[in-house]
Amino acid sequence: MTAIQFGLMLRGQFPQEDDMTQRFNELMLQGKLADSLGFSCVTKGSHYAGYPLQDVQQIPFLAALAREAPNVRLNAGIVLLSLHKPLDIAEQLASIDVISGGRLIFGIALGYREVEFKAFGTTQKERVPRFEENLIAIRRLWTENNVNMKGSHFELEDASVSLKPVQKPNPPIWVGANADPAIRRAARIGDCWYMNPHNRIDTIARQVDVYKAALDEYNKPMPEEFPIRREVFVAKTKEEALRICGESLAIKYKVYHEWGQDKAMPEGDDDLGLEFDELARDRFLIGSPDEVTEQVVDLHKRTGANHIIASMQWPGTPLTATTDSMQMLAEEVFPKVAQAL
Amino acid sequence: MARKMQYGIGMRTQYAAGFDMQKGFAEHVEQARLAEKFGFDSLMKNSHFAGYPLQEFQQLPFLSRIMTEAPSLRLLTGIVLLSLQKPLDLAEQLASIDVMSGGRLIFGCGLGYREVEFRGFGTTQKERVPRFIENLEAVKRLWTEDHVSMKGSHFELMDATLSMKPLQKPTPPIWMGANADVAIERAAELADVWFMNPHQRMETIERQVEVYKRALDRFNKPFPDEIPIAREIFVANSREEAINTAKPFLEEKYKIYHQWGQDKVMPKGDDNLALDYDELLEDRFLLGSPEEIAEQIIAQNRQCGINHLVLQFHWVGIPQELVLESMTRFAEEVRPLVEQGL
Repeated sequence: MTAIQFGLMLRGQFPQEDDMTQRFNELMLQGKLADSLGFSCVTKGSHYAGYPLQDVQQIPFLAALAREAPNVRLNAGIVLLSLHKPLDIAEQLASIDVISGGRLIFGIALGYREVEFKAFGTTQKERVPRFEENLIAIRRLWTENNVNMKGSHFELEDASVSLKPVQKPNPPIWVGANADPAIRRAARIGDCWYMNPHNRIDTIARQVDVYKAALDEYNKPMPEEFPIRREVFVAKTKEEALRICGESLAIKYKVYHEWGQDKAMPEGDDDLGLEFDELARDRFLIGSPDEVTEQVVDLHKRTGANHIIASMQWPGTPLTATTDSMQMLAEEVFPKVAQAL
Repeated sequence: MARKMQYGIGMRTQYAAGFDMQKGFAEHVEQARLAEKFGFDSLMKNSHFAGYPLQEFQQLPFLSRIMTEAPSLRLLTGIVLLSLQKPLDLAEQLASIDVMSGGRLIFGCGLGYREVEFRGFGTTQKERVPRFIENLEAVKRLWTEDHVSMKGSHFELMDATLSMKPLQKPTPPIWMGANADVAIERAAELADVWFMNPHQRMETIERQVEVYKRALDRFNKPFPDEIPIAREIFVANSREEAINTAKPFLEEKYKIYHQWGQDKVMPKGDDNLALDYDELLEDRFLLGSPEEIAEQIIAQNRQCGINHLVLQFHWVGIPQELVLESMTRFAEEVRPLVEQGL
């Protein structure tokens, strides 16, 4: 049994009125802290036109963090791949991989927001074919010279990228997926399925079977690394944890619900507009160090997840609350989980 | 020309195929630290895609990382190939860099000319001017307005509000690179500053300054405070020594530009980069002793008003110690002479 790794997700979404210079400095501070506490990676997501929330863009942020956090892997988790041109993403990410000495993780997913599709000159309908052809193109650009490929929205004519990644043949490609067909696609085209943050663990456990069946079908082994993103908060007691993070976590899920995230989720577990207690149950990892340890071990046993990407801050969570929780997770939960396995 | 001369360092970060790019990055970190120590004003990274047979870093991740080595320098995208990009993507990435750097971004943009890039981004040479214009309008609106609705030829903004606005208000300075006269007129109309073309002879630029001024008059805009240009530079004991040392590297560089077709976008009569090295040298590069280079810089300031010089010390294949030595001699010997002379 492989050990469980813990990464940090910096969602970095802040209310309109926040001073983003200060917030950026705080994100860097959290990245550095994660590095020194022994987290495995720092993860930055990507949304465009994220109003009413503010956010720092993924690629510039991860590049800037590369120096301040010299040990952690840098997880672009996820890139909304259907929006982009493969030559652009292949070169930008290869630059980050080289600059960081080979620490990039390339997370990808479909996206679901109309404002993003339209602004990139595409549509919801085109997202799946674009996603697949973009990934094929990026893998080819990273491993071949003089690539010729005609896609639906780009054409590579004898193209060789200006820079190849350090990691060979390519940085790990994690495919985020909510719905069953997307999970089967992850099995087919990705290096691993990046298990989704929003579903209940019982839903995920069922979907792991979908994933395994698909891997068998495609004659691929179960990946060694099996990551999952979760909302995580540790405090001395469960009551204290909920008192500190409950409100801001609830606000975050209200925004997801408004954005329509739950429309992309599997039936029976597709309502993020639930009351908080119902929402949190079997979904978030929240409590005392012992309770969170138990939840992590349970999650591992039910799903096989061995890399937990922890989101620990939501709009309005005070910085010190998050850094205290990170510290408690690293100092108490990491060793307890290692012992329990 | 009362305004103080500013100096930038240009980092193409180009290396031959097969070179270890982690080493290439370390060299540029060292150059950035030296530029910071010597009090340079700006650091520029250009952008090309599929740059084979050369390797280089992509502009935005490179600037985002290198900014931490040179905390006082302004960060110049010189240039963004704007026709290739989607405005929402670019506006957000650049706003992030502006905020992360404490408001140090200069947004340099231009057209681009390479077929492999247009095709790779699903567009064509023919579409580049209308895309450039609509993209710039969209980026400016996204930076300054909320709830932007705008239908472009290749994007649609639907009530879009950026995840983050730049720190500099109303926008980071917008420099437009332009070679041809018609592009210079467009720079006068649409940008804050014309970023003069690095490949041209000074006499061509002198003529084009008049084109620029007339266009500014037409648009009722004042001559900008900042007049930037990028130039190749090598400082040595004598012009002869500088020319001989730089020759193999610069020849290679311009040979590749010619292969890429850079000269097709340059004005008639000065549109051949396949010339012999000796002819290319003439009035195009800053190569020489500290005195000679200072004289050239002063002359360029007097003739064309140039007061922000972005200097390219590094070319493909040049050993790092030559770059550092040339930078050092520039800072310690050339710069004081220019200050005395102005």
